Amino acid sequence: MPGKINNLLNLLTMKNLTQEELDLLQAEEAETKEEIAKLLAPTAIKIKNVTVSFKSKKGLYTALEDISLDIKKGEIISLIGHSGCGKSTLMNTISGMVNPTSGEVIANEQVVKGPGPDRGIVFQNYSLLPWLTVFQNIYEAVDSSFKNISKEEKKAIVEKNLKMVNLWEHQHKLPGHLSGGMKQRVAIARAFAINPKILLLDEPFGALDALTKSAMHIELLKLWNLDNRDKTIVMVTHDIEEAIFLSDRVVVLNNGPASTIKEIVDIPLERPRNKKEIVHHPKYKEIHDKLLSLLIDKFSISDY
Amino acid sequence: MKNTFIKNTIGQIVSFAASMLLLCLIWQGITILTESEIPGPIATWQVAKEMFAEPFYDYGPNDKGIGLQLTASLWRVFLGFGIGSLIAIPLGILMGSSKFIMRLFDPIVQILRPVSPLAWFPLGLLAFKAAAGATIFIITITSLWPTLINTSFGVVHIPEDHKNVSKAFGFSKFKYLTKILIPYTLPHMITGLRLSIGIAWMVIVAGEMLSGGSGIGFFVWDSWNGLSLEKILVAILIIGSVGLLLDKFFNTLKMAFAWENK
Ligand SMILES: Nc1ncnc2c1ncn2[C@@H]1O[C@H](COP(=O)(O)OP(=O)(O)OP(=O)(O)O)[C@@H](O)[C@H]1O
Ligand SMILES: [Mg+2]
Repeated sequence: MPGKINNLLNLLTMKNLTQEELDLLQAEEAETKEEIAKLLAPTAIKIKNVTVSFKSKKGLYTALEDISLDIKKGEIISLIGHSGCGKSTLMNTISGMVNPTSGEVIANEQVVKGPGPDRGIVFQNYSLLPWLTVFQNIYEAVDSSFKNISKEEKKAIVEKNLKMVNLWEHQHKLPGHLSGGMKQRVAIARAFAINPKILLLDEPFGALDALTKSAMHIELLKLWNLDNRDKTIVMVTHDIEEAIFLSDRVVVLNNGPASTIKEIVDIPLERPRNKKEIVHHPKYKEIHDKLLSLLIDKFSISDY
Repeated sequence: MKNTFIKNTIGQIVSFAASMLLLCLIWQGITILTESEIPGPIATWQVAKEMFAEPFYDYGPNDKGIGLQLTASLWRVFLGFGIGSLIAIPLGILMGSSKFIMRLFDPIVQILRPVSPLAWFPLGLLAFKAAAGATIFIITITSLWPTLINTSFGVVHIPEDHKNVSKAFGFSKFKYLTKILIPYTLPHMITGLRLSIGIAWMVIVAGEMLSGGSGIGFFVWDSWNGLSLEKILVAILIIGSVGLLLDKFFNTLKMAFAWENK
């Protein structure tokens, strides 16, 4: 950032700018504005010294210990870490389904006390209502979230989102008759449909094939782009490529018990990102290797 | 698919017929053992044919056809069972939804549930000043428990996941009730109703024996006084068959609302 500003000042002090230099100046100016805006963006989610312990028969099990994290409005954050390290638990403290043993979470300027429709959730286990059809599952969520629109408009929202996840033909099926990936897509459509300020996605694309997954990534970014990128997205994933492609920052958690944040990795790749091109970006490999080694530092090939 | 369905149906019919045949054989055996003091299937069949020839005759208050007696009983059962369910279902939902209400009502339920219908009868007479009211009262108060207990059990066991969906998407109380609580609880509720109607149908005979006047229970008592054992046997078979039909009806209803196996 400071480098860029220096650059800008240099350019400004020069006289007789060529058209090329003018263009460059404008581009830099726009980019800098964007970055400044990002830096100044208000905090959407503030996780303050959150510790979560579960009571079990053997005693207290501490899943998360003293986690603090600020997430800015409009940011896309990925949580990665080994299975059982507490990713879902951390997500659940934001959604309000788990109350921290100590510490607190502030989302949309309010201390989180329980779940609410300002935070759209894709549950890791989908959580569809088994007696409602695909259509009804989404409709009931839409109906609860939008009070002032007509039935037809609500139905149109459901239709749009079901078409987005390619399930319009399956709208009359009950969840029991869907494959895992289809259920997951219904859950995604439901969370997208209510257009929340904060989207919490717990392994939202885990059950999807590579092709469907890519399509969903694009849809997620489209949704995020819609309202001036001021939607905040927190996502759990096991997929490093996915995390790099989508996120602004990747939060790596330590293994439990008593997980803490191991490292936060910035992803300074400019948007819009292109899946094919991004892998050739010089920084890509660096980031990828870093994340990989953060995840598997304990094991090296020589261990086998 | 269709073939196995037909095979299954035929199999069921054959086994039912075999079962009925076995019943008749045991019955005939008892008749022989008691030297015809208890009438056999054939003698009973003769009487049954007469009774069914004109089921709805009405020769005054103490002499009515079996069809009229049966409808009188069914009407009472549905009244008592209906009132019981109207109390049991909402109360069951309340008990299941609130720990406080559960703690408040559970001991009362545990104490009143095992009380015999006969013990309630005098209270009913006192309260309603009429035998008819008393009969319905004892059906209500003895049949409501299974519905109450099963409904509250269902509500207590609504999975956390479903409740979270309701919270995460901001369902109103009404939406929670109609889209989560009732659909989840319905199979439990219907199981309760099925047990309740079984109890109601058992109690009606005792109730009508005490209250007299009309109904299948009164008919049994009246036949005993008239020393027609065949009529009593016919009545027993009718009571059993109607009980079976009521049970089957609620079982079908349960299947229709069981989302698990859809
Ligand atoms: N309700 C609970 N009661 C007791 N222990 C729990 C509960 N929820 C989570 N845990 C424990 O907390 C730890 C973290 O669980 P969590 O579900 O957050 O892991 P995760 O990182 O999401 O794993 P995965 O990648 O497999 O989904 C685990 O050891 C788990 O057993
Ligand atoms: Mg998880």
